[in-house]
Amino acid sequence: MPRTSPPRDPARRAVVTGMGAMTPLGNDVATFWSNLTAGVSGVGPITLFDASDLEVRIAAEVKGFEPRDWMNFKQARRMSRFSQLAVAAARQAIEDSGLEIGEHNRDDIAVVMNTGGGGLEDVAAGENTYRDHGPQRVSPFMVPMLSPSMAACQISIQNDIRGPVITSVAACASGVQAFVEAQRLIEHGDVDVVITGGTESAIMPIAFAALANMGALSKRNDDPQRASRPFDATRDGFVFGEAAGVLVVESAEHAQARGARILAEVAGGALTADAFHISAPDPTGRGAAKAMERAIADAHLDREQVQYVAAHGTSTPLNDATETRAIRAAFGNHADRLAVSSNKSMLGHTLGAAGAMSALAAVLAIRDGVIPPTINLETPDPDCDLDYVPNVARQSPVDVAIVNGFGFGGQNAVAVFTRYEFEVSQSGLWA
Amino acid sequence: MKPRRAVVTGMGAVTPVGIGADASWAALIAGQSGIADITLFDTAPFEIHVAGEVKGFDPTIYMEAKDARRHDRNTHFAVAAAGEALRNAGLLGENGRVNGDVDADRFGMVFGTGIGGIGIMLEGQMILAERGPRRVSPFLLPHMLPDSASGQVAISYGLRGPNMAVVSACATGGHAIGEAMEAIVRGQADIMLGAGTEAPLVPLAFAGFGQMRALGTPKDPDTGEYSPPMASRPFDATRDGFVVSEGSAVLVIEELEHARARGATPLAEVIGYGSSADAFDMAAPAERGEGNQRAMRAALARAGIGPEAVDYINAHGTSTPLNDRYETMAIREVFGEHADGLAVSSTKSMTGHAMGAAGAIEAFVCVKVLTTGCIPPTINYRHPDPELTLDYVPNEARAADVRVALSNSMGLGGHNSSVIVRRFDE
Repeated sequence: MPRTSPPRDPARRAVVTGMGAMTPLGNDVATFWSNLTAGVSGVGPITLFDASDLEVRIAAEVKGFEPRDWMNFKQARRMSRFSQLAVAAARQAIEDSGLEIGEHNRDDIAVVMNTGGGGLEDVAAGENTYRDHGPQRVSPFMVPMLSPSMAACQISIQNDIRGPVITSVAACASGVQAFVEAQRLIEHGDVDVVITGGTESAIMPIAFAALANMGALSKRNDDPQRASRPFDATRDGFVFGEAAGVLVVESAEHAQARGARILAEVAGGALTADAFHISAPDPTGRGAAKAMERAIADAHLDREQVQYVAAHGTSTPLNDATETRAIRAAFGNHADRLAVSSNKSMLGHTLGAAGAMSALAAVLAIRDGVIPPTINLETPDPDCDLDYVPNVARQSPVDVAIVNGFGFGGQNAVAVFTRYEFEVSQSGLWA
Repeated sequence: MKPRRAVVTGMGAVTPVGIGADASWAALIAGQSGIADITLFDTAPFEIHVAGEVKGFDPTIYMEAKDARRHDRNTHFAVAAAGEALRNAGLLGENGRVNGDVDADRFGMVFGTGIGGIGIMLEGQMILAERGPRRVSPFLLPHMLPDSASGQVAISYGLRGPNMAVVSACATGGHAIGEAMEAIVRGQADIMLGAGTEAPLVPLAFAGFGQMRALGTPKDPDTGEYSPPMASRPFDATRDGFVVSEGSAVLVIEELEHARARGATPLAEVIGYGSSADAFDMAAPAERGEGNQRAMRAALARAGIGPEAVDYINAHGTSTPLNDRYETMAIREVFGEHADGLAVSSTKSMTGHAMGAAGAIEAFVCVKVLTTGCIPPTINYRHPDPELTLDYVPNEARAADVRVALSNSMGLGGHNSSVIVRRFDE
C-alpha cells in the first residue's frame, strides 16, 4: 500500500506560472499548442546531418532555431545544442511568468533541468577531432559542454540563479522526474521557485544507428508524418525527436504575493522501478501502474477524478500495449472514461524532453479545456483499447491530468497536474 | 508525528586504493596512493599519463559474462559496490537479490554519475566511423546513458522503489547522498542507496581534461623525479592540478525505525544536506568559494547544528590551485574561529578525483571516520601554502573523537553540495 503523504500546507502548494517551449511543432508555446491541437506532425527528413547512409532517415527536429536570438554568439558557441534549447525555453518561461530575478531572491530559486544524454554531439565531434588530429586539438570546452548537467548550469549562469541546480537522468522518464523533484523542493520549503523541465538534442548519426539497430525506430522513411502512430496496430517504432520544455513552478504563497497568474498546480508525483530489463518494459506493466497509483495518492486524489492521461505512448509495439495494460491496472473501470492521448504522434519521442512536452500539454489542456489528439490512429489494435482521442483534438474541461514517462532500464515517473482551484473546492482537504 | 531519521546501515566501495570498503579504508588510513601510470589505454599521445585506476577489477565476479560485456565499466563498479553495501547491511538474500521480507517497492536509489557510459559511447562512435551504422551495437544506447548504472543495480538486486540518476559533474556524489536522505525523511521510501559511480578513463575524456590544463604533474616537486603517486598534492603550495580517477561507493540509507525493526545496526546518521549554484562560470569556481559557503551553510541549517558542532571536513580538495584556495576561504568564512579547531583532509591526495563518484566515496570516508575514530590524511603535503592555513591532517592518519563530519563536493558548471553525517547515538 502506498503511504499517503500528509496534507499539503496550502502556502507550499506548487503552482505553474510560466511556460517555455522549443519543439518540433514551434519555437514558442503559442505555436506549439496551436499545432498540437490542430493535429500537425513535426516529423520530416533529417536535415541536421547527412543521413543518406542510414536505415532510418526521419526525425522530429526543432526548425529554424537561431541560438543568437536567445544568447550571445560566444556563449552559444560554447554550449551544446541541448543546453541552447534549454536556455531559450527557460528564457521564455521566466518572461511568461513575470518573475523578476534579483539579489532579493536569487538564492531561493532552483533549477531542475533533466535530460537523457547531454552533450552527445560534442562527445562524437570530440572523438572525431581526437582521432584525426590528436589530443592537443580537442577543445578545452568539450568536458564542460558534454556534461548532462550543463543545461541546468547554463540556465543558472545566464539568469544568475543561485539556489540548488539539479540534473537527474532517467532516460525517457527524465522529463517527468523533474516536476516530481520540483514539487518536493517547493513543498519542503527549500526554495520558492523552481525553473524546471527537460531538454534533449541528439539528432546525430550514432544515436540513429544504435536505435535503428535496436529495432526501436520507425522505418517509415517515405511517409514521415505518418511514422509516429502510437496505439495504432501498424505502429513499428518511435520517431526520434529533439526539444526543450520549461515550466516555472513556485509556491502558491509566492505566486499570490507577487500577483502572478496561476496556470495549474503540480499536485504530486511518484517514481518506481521495474527492476526487470535494461531496455524492455515489464510486460505486466506493474511498475508503471504502481507509479500512477502512487502519484494519484500523493496528490490526495481518487483515481476517478483523473480525466486526462498524457501517455508515454511512444509508438513502439511493446510500450503502447504495456502502457494500456498498466492504465487498466491502475484505473480499473475508470480506465474507459479516461481520455488518453500521445503527443509523440506529432512531436516524436524527445527522450529527456518528452515529459516536459506532456507537462506543457497537460497544463494547456487544463487552461483551455482542449485535449490534444493522438494522430495517425487509423487501425485499431485489440491490445490498445482505451479512448486515445483519435486524430482530432477534443473540447473537454480538464481538472486533473497525469503525465506518464517510462525509461530504458525500467524507470517509471508519473506527475499529476490539476486546475489550481480544483482541489480546494472539491476535496475539502484544506477545510 | 516523529520526524523520520535517515541512518546509514551498510556501505560498499570500489576505489583506486582497493576493491571493497575494508581494503579501501585500510589503504586510506595507511596513506597509500592509488595513482599510477595508466594501463587502460595507450597513452603515447599524452603529455601526462597517470590516473587513479581501479586495479585488478574483474566484472564477471559481479555479473554474468554476457551482461558484463554489454555494460560500461561505470556500471560494473556500481553493481559491485552496491552488492557489497547490501550484503554489509544484511539486506541480501541467498539468491543474491534483496531479502524477501523487505518491501522492494519502498527500496530505491539515487545513483549518480558525471558522464555515464562514455567508454561504450566512444566504442560505438569508432565502429560507426570505421565500419558503418549497421555495425553499431543495438545495446549501445540503454547501456550508455547516465542512468544505466541505476537501472542495472535495480535489476541486479530487485529494487523497485524511486530510482534516479543525478548528474552534477564532480558534485554528483554529494547530491546523490543528500537526495537519498531527503527521500527517506520525506517518506518516499524506507531504504535508499545513495551512491555515485564513474569510469572516465578513456582517451577522449583524458584529452579534454588535458586541454583544460587541469591535470596535476606526476613529479616530486622537490627532486623533479617522475612520481605518479605525487601528482595529487591538495593544499600543498606546489599543487598544480587534479588526477582523474574512477570508482564507485554506495551508502545504504535507511529510515531509523525500519532499520531497528529488522535488527540492523546504524553506522551513522545523515543529518544535513545543502546544495547551491555559483551562477558564475562553466569551469572556474566562484570567487572565495561563495557558492560552496552557501552549500555548507544550508547543510548546517538542514542539520539544525551550529558550525562549532562539526569536527571533521572531508574537503573537495582537488589539488587545483583555485579549488583548494577557495575552499579554504569558504571554510574560514562559514566556520569563523572554529575553522582552526577543525581537521580538514583531502582523500583525493590518494584516490585522485573520481568525478561523479567522488562525493559518494568521501561520504563513505566520513562515516568510517565516525565509526573508527581515525582520520585519513592529506598525503603529499610538504610545502605549506601561506594562504592555506587550516589543519589538513598532513601525511599521517590521526586518531580523533569525531562526532560530526561534513563532506564537500563542487562541480564544473558551478554545482556545490555538502553532506553532514553524525555518529549514531540513539
